[in-house]
Amino acid sequence: MAKTVDYNASNKVAYKGLMSYAKPHTKTFLAVFGCIIVAITADLLQPYLVKVAIDDHLMKGDKSASTLLVIAGIYLLLSVCGFVFTYLQNNFLQNAGQSIVAAIRKQLFRHITRQSMSYFDRVPSGSLITHVSSDTETLNSFFSQVLLSVLRDGLTLVFIIALMFHLDVRLTLYCLILIPIIALIAISFRSYMRMTYQITRTNLSRLVAFVAENLSGMRIIQVFHQEKEQQRQFDDRNQTYFKSNMREIRTNVLFNRSFDMLGNLSVAFVTWLGGNAVLGHMIPFGVLFAFITYIRQFFQPINSITQQWNTLQSATVSMNRIWSIFETNPEVQDAKGAREVDASQVRGKIDFDRVKFAYSDGVPVIHHLDLHVKAGEMIGIVGTTGAGKSSLISLLCRFYDVQQGSVSIDGTDVRNIPQHTLHRLIGLVQQEPYLYSGSIIDNVRLFDETISRERVMKACRMVGADTLVMRMKDGYDTVLSERGSGLSAGERQLISFARIIVFQPKILILDEATANLDSHSEQLIQRALAVVSEGRTTLVIAHRLSTIMNADRIIVMRQGEIVEEGTHRQLLALGGYYEELYRHSQGEHEEHEELELDELEDFDDDEPSTANASAGGIAAAASPGGGCSSRR
Amino acid sequence: MGSGRGLLTSYIRDKWYIYASGITFTIAANLFQSYYPKVLGNFTDELQKGGLTKETVLDASLALLLIGLAYGILGGIGQFHIMYVGRTFEKFTRQRLFGHFTKLGEQFYSKNGVGKLLSYVMNDVTTVRESIAMGVNQTANATMLIFSAIAVMLLSAIPWYLILICISPLLFIPWIVVRIGPTIRSRSKDVQESLGAMTESAEEQFGGIRVTKKFAVEDIMNLRFGRTVDRIKDNQLRLVRISSYFQALIPFLGALSLVVTLAFGGYMALSGRLSLGNFVALTLYVRMMVNPLQAIGNVINTIQRSRASLERLNDLLAKQPEIVEKELAADVDWQNAVLTVNDLSFTYPDSPKEALQHISLRLEPGKTLGIVGRTGSGKTTLVKLLLRVYDPPAGAVEIDGRVVSDISLESLRAGIAYVPQDGFLFSTTIRDNIAFYRRTADLALVEKAAHEAQIHESIMGFPDGFDTKLGERGVTLSGGQRQRTALARGMMMEAPILILDDSVSAVDAVTETVIIDTIRRVREDKTTIIIAHRISALKHADEIIVLDEGRIVQRGTHETLLAQEGIYAMLHAIQEEGSSVG
Repeated sequence: MAKTVDYNASNKVAYKGLMSYAKPHTKTFLAVFGCIIVAITADLLQPYLVKVAIDDHLMKGDKSASTLLVIAGIYLLLSVCGFVFTYLQNNFLQNAGQSIVAAIRKQLFRHITRQSMSYFDRVPSGSLITHVSSDTETLNSFFSQVLLSVLRDGLTLVFIIALMFHLDVRLTLYCLILIPIIALIAISFRSYMRMTYQITRTNLSRLVAFVAENLSGMRIIQVFHQEKEQQRQFDDRNQTYFKSNMREIRTNVLFNRSFDMLGNLSVAFVTWLGGNAVLGHMIPFGVLFAFITYIRQFFQPINSITQQWNTLQSATVSMNRIWSIFETNPEVQDAKGAREVDASQVRGKIDFDRVKFAYSDGVPVIHHLDLHVKAGEMIGIVGTTGAGKSSLISLLCRFYDVQQGSVSIDGTDVRNIPQHTLHRLIGLVQQEPYLYSGSIIDNVRLFDETISRERVMKACRMVGADTLVMRMKDGYDTVLSERGSGLSAGERQLISFARIIVFQPKILILDEATANLDSHSEQLIQRALAVVSEGRTTLVIAHRLSTIMNADRIIVMRQGEIVEEGTHRQLLALGGYYEELYRHSQGEHEEHEELELDELEDFDDDEPSTANASAGGIAAAASPGGGCSSRR
Repeated sequence: MGSGRGLLTSYIRDKWYIYASGITFTIAANLFQSYYPKVLGNFTDELQKGGLTKETVLDASLALLLIGLAYGILGGIGQFHIMYVGRTFEKFTRQRLFGHFTKLGEQFYSKNGVGKLLSYVMNDVTTVRESIAMGVNQTANATMLIFSAIAVMLLSAIPWYLILICISPLLFIPWIVVRIGPTIRSRSKDVQESLGAMTESAEEQFGGIRVTKKFAVEDIMNLRFGRTVDRIKDNQLRLVRISSYFQALIPFLGALSLVVTLAFGGYMALSGRLSLGNFVALTLYVRMMVNPLQAIGNVINTIQRSRASLERLNDLLAKQPEIVEKELAADVDWQNAVLTVNDLSFTYPDSPKEALQHISLRLEPGKTLGIVGRTGSGKTTLVKLLLRVYDPPAGAVEIDGRVVSDISLESLRAGIAYVPQDGFLFSTTIRDNIAFYRRTADLALVEKAAHEAQIHESIMGFPDGFDTKLGERGVTLSGGQRQRTALARGMMMEAPILILDDSVSAVDAVTETVIIDTIRRVREDKTTIIIAHRISALKHADEIIVLDEGRIVQRGTHETLLAQEGIYAMLHAIQEEGSSVG
């Protein structure tokens, strides 16, 4: 029970929110309402006119044709009115609805991009996309279908009943007996129909997903000679979908036909009742005629309103989801006392002071970390996944906040720097460079048109991407398809390096930037790195030692702590974990392979927390005097 | 060309009797329906003549009741039959398409993206189904209703010229539907496309959120996304303009018909040339004809659309598989089978450049071959030819002295285990993925393979262990985990030949070492081919070949290659010395 209360409460919030978006369009909605009333009136008066023609003229044997022409003329006028106002009403309503949906979409997107990185780590991007595209689209159908139907069909129903009462009260009362019957049928069928519909949709999307996956894995299927088995699995899903589909069709046909029959039944009923009434001269025949027409029209609005029930429900669910997003606030907020930092004055000194950090699950990732980086220094960071390397970077960029201690740049705590400014100070190159569908120019300057083409080209020349770009069809204006799928990993990485040059951050971070490259491309990147890191404080995280061997200082991380620190040579001399990593990367390990098999499991790249003290072969001693002077 | 219309005609020939019964029921239902205004007309006439009694009222009501029930039940049965035919067509066609997809080769898939192929399976099949189900249903319905209505009117002595004049505005309806329908469709397609563009944009922005945040360009990205949103709105409104015009126009034409009926029919009734009953019936018939006429227009549109879809489907089904098993293809005796490659040169279809030139190899059972080379040097092409994903030139690849094209596909592929670089896995359980080549295999075998691929411990860390589901509705694996699971899938086959196509690139150096050692141990007496970027992964191979631009530029063991000047020594130097080179 408590749950339904919650649900209703969140419904209320959502509807209230929606209303605030609808408010600027009040005038349009009023216009829609007006149009609907005119259109319906014009529509419903038509049978009434025929009744007038029958009762007042034809039945009475009135021989003057002129009144008949007047009636026909009014009828024509009414239908023109109906035509024009129906058209206007649809356009007005859609105009308002589309504007509201567009506003919500933009606001939602803006709100989501404002969230902290922790939000994106937690919420899969697939569901965010669903919120922005499908949920808002359902909202759109709320305006274009539900609202229209409720207004139009609801009013039609009211008008019809009013007209029927006007024609004959007794007959109308009899007809109203039908309403509970109709409602009963509609409600009992609808929930069942919704269920069959949902089952069918689920089965269909499973079928689609299966086909999509098998198409992309077709080579694997063929190479493993599994065509028959996969076909069998496909046939199963196909059959399941077919069955649920037939069930849905059965239900739909049954429902629509019962509704139809109910309509015909009531016509028969009205004829019988009304016929007897006509017989007893209680009502004129024209009234009966009009009644028969109205009773048939009576069913249409009811049917279409109940059809909207499903849409209304899914719109409500979508609305709740959208508003629950609107209610989340970014976890990392700019501090009240945050002050702008003059970016040009920043030198790039970084200090991690007694940092302790855990993600929301509470398991500490960084225990107690002190790291001081001089301006312009280049630091290499190695360690297994889960050692806390990436967390270190996230803290520096303030994607997350530390639990204890502090991270500061040039002595200013990052929490006191506005995020916008902070992010501009730090440049990050990731393992998978992210490219957008757009030209090379736009990819480098990230669509910021205040950055000139010349600057972009100069940056590309500096990192050596120039030759690559000139080889392309339209040079710098080549539009990258599917996020640069035509480029090799190395070429994509070069473009992301050019970004760094263009945006000129003071601090540069490379997070496994060379992991996916073959040796040849890696060399290109190394050369670019030398250019890019010039004059910048640089942190390089790498699996491959070749990338960091020349760093001013290398730190080795394990389980959230710095365990070794020093230059390449110092660390080799130390004979610890670094030295072992180095030997493995060279493949010189035979002498003790049997002995190490079990221990090495601990280095499994995907298992952060299982490693424990059993790793006896690994030196845990930190180098005491690790801080080595910068070359620059 | 004869198969051009094959898909549909053969299907209809198969199911004609269901069709026939469906149409019969529909016709019967409409015959009943067409009497409905007539009953009311007669009722009116009786009334006017003063001949109305309690009995005639009851008779008329019962007649209406009967018509209502008969129309509902018969029509329902007919509709269901025809829907059934449509859905069965859909099912059979999809089944055939899927079967066809499993036969088509790499060349086909390189040209046709998944999205495009999915649209065959979903959209095209649906469009054809609609035209043969809804189309047939509505045509039968509409034509029957129109003809029987006109017939009944003529029989009731309503003059033909009056009928013609009264329904003349309605005759524009099919014409309008055919005229406006395609515009509505193309505009609604625009809407769909702009919706797709927005989804894509959102996908792109959320995927790159780290970049957006890092460079603090949120405002620009908001603007970019906003543009896609505005485009949807514009397209929607364009659609609404035409569709609401259309929606208002059809009832308007119906109303025009009634105006004519009222004026002209009324005049004739006044002058006594038309009975009042017939006048009433006429107004009802005119109303009754609006829907069927609109349906005829719809059907014309659907059929036009589905003709294109049907053609696409037939073209697709007519595509020949690239890899065809010969009739006389035999199994290989894998015991002691030697793999030989004799002066193999290969050019991809549609490519001017040779991907491989004069490759010769001989691989004895139990030996390991290492292949290194840059991206694009032809390593993967060589593997594809060994697996007969592409057909190698005649005689170029032989196993146990038999040309690969003479070997049955089943035997060939059962003999070679392949581990791809991307670690492609299916959204089923981990167990089904590892035991992919034999889904019924014992769990013990699956676990053994998982141990060998160093993935066992990770799997046991998942809540459901080996029964953990992968993919969207399950667990997402990291790149390294995916590669190792795919490796387990390959190891599980214990095949005479194992091919690792850069299969451990996302695994860290330490784990890689363990994996390579394990492979060497468990595959001592079997053939293994290792492709890698990292020298450490293949330095133990009995023979290493270095590919460059499709040629073998160096071959030998690790030691002999190191002693030579060349790519191998250079790669080794880069990987060992790092950036100090160059």
